[in-house]
Amino acid sequence: MGLFHRRRGFSGTIARKRLNCLLPAERMACSPREMQMLKNDLIMTLARYLDVEEEKVSMQIDYSPVLLTIRVPLQNTEDIHA
Amino acid sequence: MNDVIVVTSGKGGVGKTTTAANIGIGLAALGSRVVMVDTDIGLRNLDVVLGLENRIVYNLVDVIEGRCRLKQALIRDKRQKELYLLPSAQTRDKSAVTPEQMCKLCEELKLQFDYVILDCPAGIEQGFQNAVAGADRAIVVTTPEVSSIRDADRIIGLLEARDLRNVFLVINRIRPDMVRRGEMMSVEDVEEILAVPLLGVIPDDESVVVATNQGEPVTGTSTLAGTAYRNISRRITGEEVPLMDLSARKPFFRRIFKK
Repeated sequence: MGLFHRRRGFSGTIARKRLNCLLPAERMACSPREMQMLKNDLIMTLARYLDVEEEKVSMQIDYSPVLLTIRVPLQNTEDIHA
Repeated sequence: MNDVIVVTSGKGGVGKTTTAANIGIGLAALGSRVVMVDTDIGLRNLDVVLGLENRIVYNLVDVIEGRCRLKQALIRDKRQKELYLLPSAQTRDKSAVTPEQMCKLCEELKLQFDYVILDCPAGIEQGFQNAVAGADRAIVVTTPEVSSIRDADRIIGLLEARDLRNVFLVINRIRPDMVRRGEMMSVEDVEEILAVPLLGVIPDDESVVVATNQGEPVTGTSTLAGTAYRNISRRITGEEVPLMDLSARKPFFRRIFKK
């Protein structure tokens, strides 16, 4: 491999970039306690406007792309039309 | 002084036990009274790294379960008379002790020793919980590789979550030649990513394997790793010791082409 051999980048640099991408996302999900507190706060706020099935709420963070998803099943509202 | 320091990493095999052993011996050589505690129940290793494996009578679990007094389980080091080892149990597992019991033990040890060094097992489960329960400070050991840095980051997060914020970094097994070639992350890279204060850097050095084979420490020897470990012990006591100059300047072609 000569001095002027073209390569897409030194592996050390690649490693650093990968970690700089990965770790911030992982850090958000780091504390299970904080996740639970966030979930509780979100449920409380939603419950002010909607009939939320609290025990069935699920939340997760994905990493590429970095996305927080919350799934909120709502109570059956058939009786409203009765 | 009267510090309980846990040496942890998350990832296995990055040098926790070697680091804990050499830091402990180094501190004793500098005049402190030190006890090293192997908290890896079921997979003990601190004893064998120190060459004290034939001296074990009682262990950590015996002490906690009240089968013996603490004094009976402590093994005095052959080289440093103010250095003691509390070995782990080989035939039990991590559920044998609780964090509360570890806390209590650390409190007791603090009364008798200047430094209590806890060798933490790999992972984040009960073994880790037990080891960090009584700690005042943490030393996180990592190598300059993707997996160990990721695990170290998680460990740092878990320590912060339980309010253990006196956290310091040791970068182990750095290879200056690979760093020069750009094929290994540098000390600065790792420091920047993990963002905790750097306590020391240990170069990858054959003498560590040779020493462990013989159950001898490297610290205090004139090898690169030996000097690096001794510097870490000195820094722990508050002395200001500059980092060893392991790395050279950037390679010529990177400097002219500005990577």
